[in-house]
Amino acid sequence: MEKKELPTVVKKKISSDRCVVTGKGNWYFPLSDIYETPDNFTILIDMPGASIENINIDLQDNELVVNGEVSQEAYTDEKVIYNEYNIGHYHRHFVISDAVNRDKIEAKMSDGVLSLILPKAAHVKPRKIEVKAE
Amino acid sequence: MGLIKWEKPDPLDNLTHIQREMSDLFDFLSSTPQMEGYVDVEYPPIIVSMNEESVFVRAELPGIKASDLDIQVVDDILTIKGERKLTLDPAKVSYLRRERDYGTFARSIVLPEKVDTEKVTASYKNGVLTVSLPTAPESKPRQVVIKKS
Repeated sequence: MEKKELPTVVKKKISSDRCVVTGKGNWYFPLSDIYETPDNFTILIDMPGASIENINIDLQDNELVVNGEVSQEAYTDEKVIYNEYNIGHYHRHFVISDAVNRDKIEAKMSDGVLSLILPKAAHVKPRKIEVKAE
Repeated sequence: MGLIKWEKPDPLDNLTHIQREMSDLFDFLSSTPQMEGYVDVEYPPIIVSMNEESVFVRAELPGIKASDLDIQVVDDILTIKGERKLTLDPAKVSYLRRERDYGTFARSIVLPEKVDTEKVTASYKNGVLTVSLPTAPESKPRQVVIKKS
């Protein structure tokens, strides 16, 4: 069985020199996996700290925009003495093609991981062509 | 001598600059933990905070089942062990992009205070693990009364 020690995690900050960041707090690019099965595409996005209510998914033309806001209230009456990671909101967008059936995109959130299921459009699904006997 | 067109600076440019500065200032003043630049940290990265009653250790561990986490406290050493499992068979799907990592991890830290090991609690919500460790009564500040002689 393949076992890898110590997964790694890098939080990439969305810097304000590339785009204008408004509002309070920092924004980060969450890590994501994209994979394909015969029926759909799935996008998995790690958004630890974001609860279901604070996740917004918008589809604008070809762009699927995912925003997740993270509440930072827990730290108000605590003093941070040691810090190894940043807390911030998440933003990521994906460009999707016509191969996706846009009306049937589904999203699920569990344990800080957002899964987006994008079913394939009928014209790209594998189709079996039957041979008729004459 | 060539003529160079004088570009009139857009007054709005300055405004966005001010806006950015203000936003940075707010971030600086807020109590939210922020750290810039990464050193190699062990997995999972943690934030240790405390108040008068307890020490809190938080770690971002998205996509892990609570049953796959093992948390132990021995004296003043906290150990977080676990495994992030792949929920699907990688042979059945074709990956188009892969950034998230999987595997086993273990990490031990020395706590800043003596804690009451019997009262340690842990919760896992939205992919964030929070371990609350109430400080032991002997390490809480105690007022010493000076007796009159």
